[in-house]
Amino acid sequence: MVETQGSYSAADSGKVLPAVARGGAAAARGGLWEFEVVGRIWRFFTSVRLALVLILILTGAVLVGTLLDQIPPSVLADSSAHAQWLERARTKYGVWTNAFDFLGLFNVFHGLWFRVLIGLLTTNIIVCTLNRWKGIWATVFPPRVRMSDTFFQHARYNATFAAPMTLPAAAERVKRSLRRSRYRVKMEADGESVAIYADRNRFSRFGTFLAHLSLVLILAGTVVGGMWGFSDSEFIVAEGATRDLGLGTNISVGLDHFTDEYWLEGPPKDFRSDIVIYEGGKEVKRGVTRVNSPVSYKGIRFHQSFFGQAAVMRVKDEAGAELFNAAVPLAWETRDGGRPIGSFDLPSQGVTVYVVGPRSGETDPLVPAGEMRVEVYKRSGGALVAAENVSQGTAKQVAGLNLTFARESRFTGLKVVKDPGTNIIWVASALMVVGLIMLFYLPHRRLWALVKRRDDGTAEVRVGMTAQRDMSLEAEFSRLRERVASALRGAKGGRTSAQGDNDV
Amino acid sequence: MYELSQYAFVAAFVALAAALLLHLVNVLGARGLQALSVGGGGTVSVPTFGPILDTAGRYGTILTVNSFAFLTASLVFRAIAAGHGPFSNMYEFSLAFGWGALALFLYFQFQYRLRTLALLVLPIALGLLAYATTVPSEITPLVPALQNDLLLTVHVAVAIIAYGAFAIAFGAAVLFLIQRRDTVRWLPKKVLLDEIGYKAVMVGFPMMALVIILGALWADIAWGTYWSWDPKETASLVTWLLYGAYLHARVLRGWRGERSAALLILGFGATLFTYYGNLFFGGLHSYG
Repeated sequence: MVETQGSYSAADSGKVLPAVARGGAAAARGGLWEFEVVGRIWRFFTSVRLALVLILILTGAVLVGTLLDQIPPSVLADSSAHAQWLERARTKYGVWTNAFDFLGLFNVFHGLWFRVLIGLLTTNIIVCTLNRWKGIWATVFPPRVRMSDTFFQHARYNATFAAPMTLPAAAERVKRSLRRSRYRVKMEADGESVAIYADRNRFSRFGTFLAHLSLVLILAGTVVGGMWGFSDSEFIVAEGATRDLGLGTNISVGLDHFTDEYWLEGPPKDFRSDIVIYEGGKEVKRGVTRVNSPVSYKGIRFHQSFFGQAAVMRVKDEAGAELFNAAVPLAWETRDGGRPIGSFDLPSQGVTVYVVGPRSGETDPLVPAGEMRVEVYKRSGGALVAAENVSQGTAKQVAGLNLTFARESRFTGLKVVKDPGTNIIWVASALMVVGLIMLFYLPHRRLWALVKRRDDGTAEVRVGMTAQRDMSLEAEFSRLRERVASALRGAKGGRTSAQGDNDV
Repeated sequence: MYELSQYAFVAAFVALAAALLLHLVNVLGARGLQALSVGGGGTVSVPTFGPILDTAGRYGTILTVNSFAFLTASLVFRAIAAGHGPFSNMYEFSLAFGWGALALFLYFQFQYRLRTLALLVLPIALGLLAYATTVPSEITPLVPALQNDLLLTVHVAVAIIAYGAFAIAFGAAVLFLIQRRDTVRWLPKKVLLDEIGYKAVMVGFPMMALVIILGALWADIAWGTYWSWDPKETASLVTWLLYGAYLHARVLRGWRGERSAALLILGFGATLFTYYGNLFFGGLHSYG
C-alpha cells in the first residue's frame, strides 16, 4: 500500500498485530503453535517489501510474455498442435525451446506460476489493507485536538504569533482564518488556552484502500467472466446463411449482407454486417454490427471482427435432388500457400467437400480466377475421392455429384462475447481513478494550533503542521501562516520557522 | 490548414533547438564558473559572465515557451485539417508526445524555477520532433478500429500527459543520480530533485491508470475484449506497474533515494517501449 506517512517500518517489522505476535511467547508456554504459524504468515504478507518484490517479478514476467511468442489457448489444449507449435518455435529459439516450454515461458499469462504470483500479490494487498485500516481510521476519527508544547517546538513547520487581543478573540480569529482556507476546525478550551485542530481532505487516506481494493475487484471480475461468461472469437456466417451459436444458448445468427468500404486513399473505411438474431427459431433482433459499435442481445455482444470470401455452391445427387445450396465461407488457408479454403459436409453421401479459391493478388496456376477447386473426401478415413476445378455457373459431375459454383459471396467473422465480469471491471476502474485522485490530488492536510493567555491579557498563538514524509508543505504552510497572521491584525508576522529539509 | 500545421511544426522545431542551445550555455557556463572558482582562478569572472549566462537561460525559457506555442498551433491546425484529434499515426503521436513533455516541463519549471531540467527534457522533446520528420506526415483517413472520436481523443490525450510527466520524472532522476552527494553546485539539491520526480509521478501514475482503463474500455467496444495481452497493452501495464513499484519503494528503507531514482529511469525506458513497442511487435495497435 502506498503510504505517505512514516508508518512503514512498523508495518514491516510486524509490530502491528501484537496479539498475534505475542502468540510466539504463548506457544512456548501453552502450545498454541497455530497462532505462531498464522502470525508468521500474516506478518509475511503485511510487508510492503514483499509487494515491491512481487510487482517487480510480475513486471519481468509480463515482459517475458511480450517478448516471447505465446502459444494460443486453442493450440495448448491440443497436444499434437502443441508439439507442432514447438517445432516451429524451434527455428526461432533453438536449443532454448524446451527449457522455455518447461518453464512455461510460452504460456505466461495463463500459466500456473503467473497465477500464483497474482494470488500472492492479491493476498498481500488484502492483508496490507486490513492491517492498515485501523491505523488510518485512528488518524482520521477522531483526531487528537490538543498537542503538547514539544509538538509545536518540533513540528516540521511551525510558527508563533503574538496576538494583541483576548484569548477567546484570538482563538476565534484563528478559527475563522482556517475556515476561510477551507479547513475543518475543532476546538477544545480550558481556562488558560484553546487547542485547535484543523484538517482538509480527511478522506484522502481512504483513497489508498479504494485503489488497492479495485485491483482485487478487477481480479474478481476476470474470475466472474471466466466462470459465467463465454466467447467465440471466430463465429463465421456466410451471406444468406444462419448458424447456431451453441455455447449453451438457444440462439442462432444469420447474415443478410456484409459490406466493406474503402477511402479514396486506399485504407479501409467501414466494415459492417447486417445480422439477424433468432432465439428458439424466432427472429428477435435485427442490427448492423460495425467495428466500433457491436450489436447486443441479452448481454451477448456481436462484434465485427473479420471477413472474407465465400462461394455459393449447389450440389445435386444423380437423381437431381438438391443436397446443398448455400454460401461456403472460405475462412481458412491452405497449408501449401495461402489459398482460401472452406468445406461442407454431405452426410447422406458420406463425404466432405472442400472448396479452394484462387490465391489473391496474382494469377494462380492451380485455381484460375472465376473458378473454384473442389476436393471431395470420404468422411470416414479421409481418402480423396476426386479433385476438380469448376467454373462459375457451369454444373460439373464430380464423384457422382452434380456440383455448381453459383457465384462469389462474402462471409463475416464475428466475435461473440458474454462477459458478466465486465461490469465489475468498470466499477473497479472507477474506484481506481477516484482512489488515486483522492490520494494524490486531494492530500490530507492537518494543522494544530494552541492559543494561550499571556500575563498581560493578550494571547500567544502557536501553529504546527507535520508533513507527510514525501511531500513538501512549504507552499501550503506559508499560505496558511499569512492567513493566520493577517487575521491576528497587529500581530506582526510572527517568528516562524520551517524546519523541513526541503527549503530551496 | 495542413501547410500551416507544417510551418508551425518547423518553427517549433527551430525554436526548441535554439532553446536547448541557450540552456546548454546557461548550465555548462555555470558549471565552468564553478570549476573556475573551485580551481582558485578567482571570482573575477563571475560578475562578468554571470549576467550573460542568466540572460541565456532566460531567453532559453522564452524560446521554449515559443516552441510550445508553435507546437500547440501545429497540432490544432492539423486537428482542424484532419477533422479529428491529431493522434492517429506515429507522426501525430510523436508531435503530441513532444508537446506533452514540453507542457509538463514548463509547468514544473514555473512551479520550481528550475531550468536545469531542460538539459534532459528538451533533448527528449527535440528527439521526438526529429523522429517525426522521418515518418510520413500525410493526413491519413481513420481505419474502422480508430473511428471513435471521443475515445481516440481522450485515450491518447491522457497518454500524452502521462508520458510527458514520466519524461520529467526521468530528467529529475538522472539529475538526482548526478547530484548524489549534494556537491554539484550548478544542480538543484537532491531533496528538490527527489520531490520533482515524485510530483511528476503523482501526475503521471493516475493518468497512466486512466490511459489503461480507457484503452480497456475501447478494446471492449471495438474488439469485444477489455484485455488481450496485446504488446502495447502489456507494455503499458508494465510501465504502470514500474511506477507503482516506485511509489511503494520510495517509502521503504533501503529503497529511498538512488534505487527509487533508478526505478524512474527504468520506468521511462518502459514508457518509450510502450510508445514504440507496437512498431516492433505489431499486434492490435499497429496503426503507425
